[in-house]
Amino acid sequence: MAEQIINEMENAANIITAPPNLVTDDQRRAAETIFLSFRKTKSPYNICKQILETSNVPFVLFETAEVLKNALIREWAFIPETNIVALRQYLMQYVIFKEGLPYYVQERILQVIAIMVKRASVDDFGQERSNILKEIENLILNCSHEKKMIGCSLILCMLQEYETSIKSTDVGLPWEVHFKAKKHFEATDMKRIFQFCIPLLSELVKNDIPFEKNLYDLMLKLLEITSTILTWGYISPLCPKKLIGVYESIYESSNPPLLRLSMLWKDVIFSSEFLPLMFQIYWKVRDQEALAHYALTCLVQLASLNGSIMGDDDLRIQYFTTYMENFLKLTNSVNIRNKESIGISNIVRKLQLYFARDLQKIPKNIQESFLDDITRITCFFVEGAAKEEMDDDKYYVEALENMLEAWTSILQEFIPDSENAVLNAATQIFNSYLKCHIGPPDGCRSIREEPEEIEDNEDNDRIKFRDQLQVIGMIGRTILRHSLPLLFGLLEDRIIKLRAMLHVMQNQALTLNDAATLDNIFEDIHWTILIAGHTLCMDNEGETPLIPSEIMQYSLEQCNKEEVTIEDTLLFLASIQQIGVEVDSANKCDHALRIFSDILKLCSLETSAAEAKLGHFMSPEVGCTLMWFLKRWCRSFLLPMEPLYHEISPTIVRCLGDDTEGASFVVNYILSKIQSNICHFGSEPVLLKDTVELFADIVCFKEKSVYIVKTEGLWNLVNLQSKLNAASLPPNVRRGLYKGFVKAGASLLNPQEANEYFRQIFKPLQSRFKGLLSQENFNRIYQEEKVRKEVLDILECFVGVAKGAQMATVQIIFDYIAPVLSELPVFIQLYHNYQVIVQLILELFGQTAKYMLCFLGHLDSKRLYEFTLATIQAYAKCNANRFTSEVFQEESSYQDLLLVLELLIMILTKDCLDFSSQVLVEEVTVSAVDVALFGLNFVMPLMTLDLLKYPSLCAQYYKLIVLISDIHPDKVCTLPEPMLTALLNSVRLGITSGFGNDIVQHCLDFIQALAGHVFDNQDTRKVAYSLLEPFLKLLLDLTLTHELSSDVMVFASTAIYSLICCYKDRYRSIVEELIQTQPDPLVADRLAAAFTQLTNNVSLTSERWPKLKFRDNFDKFIANVHGFLLVK
Amino acid sequence: MADIEDTHFETGDSGASATYPMQCSALRKNGFVMLKGRPCKIVEMSTSKTGKHGHAKVHLVGIDIFTGKKYEDICPSTHNMDVPHVKREDYQLTDISDDGYLCLMADNGDLREDLKVPEGEVGLQLRAEYDSGKDILCTVLKSCGEEVVIAVKTNTALDK
Repeated sequence: MAEQIINEMENAANIITAPPNLVTDDQRRAAETIFLSFRKTKSPYNICKQILETSNVPFVLFETAEVLKNALIREWAFIPETNIVALRQYLMQYVIFKEGLPYYVQERILQVIAIMVKRASVDDFGQERSNILKEIENLILNCSHEKKMIGCSLILCMLQEYETSIKSTDVGLPWEVHFKAKKHFEATDMKRIFQFCIPLLSELVKNDIPFEKNLYDLMLKLLEITSTILTWGYISPLCPKKLIGVYESIYESSNPPLLRLSMLWKDVIFSSEFLPLMFQIYWKVRDQEALAHYALTCLVQLASLNGSIMGDDDLRIQYFTTYMENFLKLTNSVNIRNKESIGISNIVRKLQLYFARDLQKIPKNIQESFLDDITRITCFFVEGAAKEEMDDDKYYVEALENMLEAWTSILQEFIPDSENAVLNAATQIFNSYLKCHIGPPDGCRSIREEPEEIEDNEDNDRIKFRDQLQVIGMIGRTILRHSLPLLFGLLEDRIIKLRAMLHVMQNQALTLNDAATLDNIFEDIHWTILIAGHTLCMDNEGETPLIPSEIMQYSLEQCNKEEVTIEDTLLFLASIQQIGVEVDSANKCDHALRIFSDILKLCSLETSAAEAKLGHFMSPEVGCTLMWFLKRWCRSFLLPMEPLYHEISPTIVRCLGDDTEGASFVVNYILSKIQSNICHFGSEPVLLKDTVELFADIVCFKEKSVYIVKTEGLWNLVNLQSKLNAASLPPNVRRGLYKGFVKAGASLLNPQEANEYFRQIFKPLQSRFKGLLSQENFNRIYQEEKVRKEVLDILECFVGVAKGAQMATVQIIFDYIAPVLSELPVFIQLYHNYQVIVQLILELFGQTAKYMLCFLGHLDSKRLYEFTLATIQAYAKCNANRFTSEVFQEESSYQDLLLVLELLIMILTKDCLDFSSQVLVEEVTVSAVDVALFGLNFVMPLMTLDLLKYPSLCAQYYKLIVLISDIHPDKVCTLPEPMLTALLNSVRLGITSGFGNDIVQHCLDFIQALAGHVFDNQDTRKVAYSLLEPFLKLLLDLTLTHELSSDVMVFASTAIYSLICCYKDRYRSIVEELIQTQPDPLVADRLAAAFTQLTNNVSLTSERWPKLKFRDNFDKFIANVHGFLLVK
Repeated sequence: MADIEDTHFETGDSGASATYPMQCSALRKNGFVMLKGRPCKIVEMSTSKTGKHGHAKVHLVGIDIFTGKKYEDICPSTHNMDVPHVKREDYQLTDISDDGYLCLMADNGDLREDLKVPEGEVGLQLRAEYDSGKDILCTVLKSCGEEVVIAVKTNTALDK
């Protein structure tokens, strides 16, 4: 019998492993079926043993190990202990003595043993495990090389079994049990294993390099074990499971956890030989990549030593000193290679992170040589990173970023003027960074041979190198007396060179050589501005932008020492159009303002080149960088908010402060630059985007825009609007400008002033819109190209207007925008054949809802709701029952519907977020949720299954319905039957169609919210009550058949709980049916017991506490039931 | 009816150009453009540049509005591209003649009988709906001298 089975399996294995051309698909399928049914065998232990004994086909042996593993996990609780011990001993003997066993089969069997060891240790608190370890140690110490390797592999398998935590249900253990076993293992045998490895390593390392094969293999295994223990993930019992899961899957995938050890480890870690040994090993094996990897990992981990072991100050300092001595010995004796650079930099970063405070306590000479060394290494990595720019591998880039992270903490703790060593280090690093980004002869940037194709969606330098630049800026600020002159010197030199080039180009054609020179000048300017921008200003996401205190101090100092005068600074600022003329005031100009003036000079140069029809020679990239610099600079320096500083430099206040000529000059200048970019560089979409962003940014600080709204520059920009030809601009320019105009208006607190301002802004728009509608023949000519262009352009402006609305201005703006919105239901019908217009209309509603609705009073909200609904209804009417031959139809519908759904979600948020200050004067008749539901009702017939397969549309749809059910389950339950049926069908679809876990989770939340409401109201006559019921069986079936992923199980369990509360009788009958249909009475009994346990002591009241209890029970229930219920 | 074939030419806006120029960077997605001499709807639009300090180029992917064929083009953003005049108008279907011509009524009551039942699925759908006595709207797409019914829509009582 057994022989026959084995024969059959061996034949099947031969078929499966045969080349595709020798067997037919049917044969292959039949062969696979044999293994599939083998996997389902109950209690397969005897037959497995027989196979292991008699078969020599590796594939069969591998499958057998797999079957054993699954059976053991599944049936563990039901196998007598003696059988388990016997089986484990058998497997152990088998692996050790079976000759010629392929490596992968051997590994799989070792894993089975490891699982058995772990499971057994749950019951006997590791007694058996320590016996087994003794056996393994003996194997490694006294047996042949092959057996030594088996011993090491088994230890690694055991470590792996104990370490994996969140996925532990895979080995059939509930989370809590796994957690206990892991803790116990950490406290006992893990240290024993470590202590066993260290002396072995110290013996091995005495051998000469390169190691011979066997030594190498053993060394590799031992280092792997050591590094596994040192990178062990110690989890806290206090964290919720979900949090640990997220932590493990996201954080630890890229960062190993820090090394946290208890007092128990003192003797090993603090032994005087330990650290020198680990460094010696690395030093010896660094030529052998695999060994070096593990050895360096150990060193990195040891640089993060933490936990109660570090409680004693003396011991900690001693450890740190030893580590530093050995580390410096290493870095001084080797040239760091690219592959080890990341590890070395990680050591520095971790030392700085965990031992920064101890640095002062170690001997002075070590401190000094550490600083020297990391400065040298950082500069080396700066050069390495620059050379790597064109390579795919970015070792030095990553290493540099680690080093710079360490420097931020060094600089934060550094006290100015006291430590020249740090200042020297900062100067060296700043210089080398600048040098690597500037072309020869001043710098050493490598020159690109071939210009490459760059897509505009690629990250630009300021995004790509943001982290680096931030730290370099910080370093620059510690040495301003050095860094600023260096930067303005470079800028002024390149300005002169650029101007000379432009002169040449005016008179003669550009040679290839000239083009290369020009390119290099641009690249130098680009990088100098980037570094200057980061030195002078800090990133201030979400905070009030301030002038960095170092810059302020420096400016004060220059002023106090009379190195600069305000007059000269102003003169220099005013001289920005005089390029190439030596300006006397330069020498006594404030350094920060001198850089700013140089930037303005570059702007002038760009503009005058464009005016001389040389604009096509200028670099749009540099143009963008200029816009970026101005944006950053203006935030903090222009019109500085004096009350925020306790000390402010008179130069800055007198040149750029409120009511100064300087500030008004700068504002007008920048606005005219914005205007000139729009007029001259309309064909550069990225530059225009940055230009418009600059505009929207400078007007968004009310304290500043109160000056800006009164400047000539702003009204020039407003007046420019009527002159701009809509057809020659990239689409987003209009909306960006109008967003800026509207934002600027928010600064006018006087109502009269504000009204007048907005009247002037809106008047041209209003009259254009009225002019359009009042044409008698509008109904005939609306389709004409120029009319459509006008409609598009007006809509673009209003989208910008909506985006710029703020709480203070929302009322004025809505009064202007509402008459437009009220016409849009008609417009969308007229223009339903022109998708661009349809989408802009939907977008205008979406943006109005997003930026304005939450501030609108209920009457205005109601108006917006009405216009929205009428528009969506008109849209749906035009598109229902439509059949077309256009191939892009599906894509078009997808885009439209996405906008509709986004609009509905925005409307719905009014019910969560309402800042309107109006008091209710009449009862609210229409609420946001009604709008969302009506809107949904209109578009649901248009949403086909094919459209739902677009992931973003799918996500928006389910986001919308779960939001509705979350806020207003009552409204959902009282929907008319056809709509509720359609809605619930889509929920069923969401769970069963493989749209992904996020969607499933939304659907489960939806069911839970609805079931909760149904339970609370106990109204069994309502349609909702009967329509929801089938979901109980559906969800139970899906969980029992493993069709829901374990990631959503927790949401499934709460949904199931809520459903059980609603449908207790139905639940009972489902359970009974399930039990009765089990053919095996033993299984039926266990299933019945499991179901009893599931609801044991859980009251079915749909309250929070029992729900949580049910959730925990369900977790155990699933782990248990999946053990014996073989449902595929 | 025999000379209707000939009147086909007069349906174009005589004298008016079929296209007009527009700066490449001002085009937008879902708008129209001529690619390889065919009127296309822009389904993808991206920009790139040659070299870090180079100038923008626009990469266009369009679909022929009549044939559904895909075309691509790349052009410096300062250049002008031809944009076709595209009209999509709805007509009420009042009759289908024996020789396959549609009798269509515009919003203003004007009648025209110069378009044939379209080929393919739209045509089949149109005939089927017409035969079952439904109220039918036809969308007529017109550009570059070509004119064809590209969509049909049945009106139900609910839409009224």
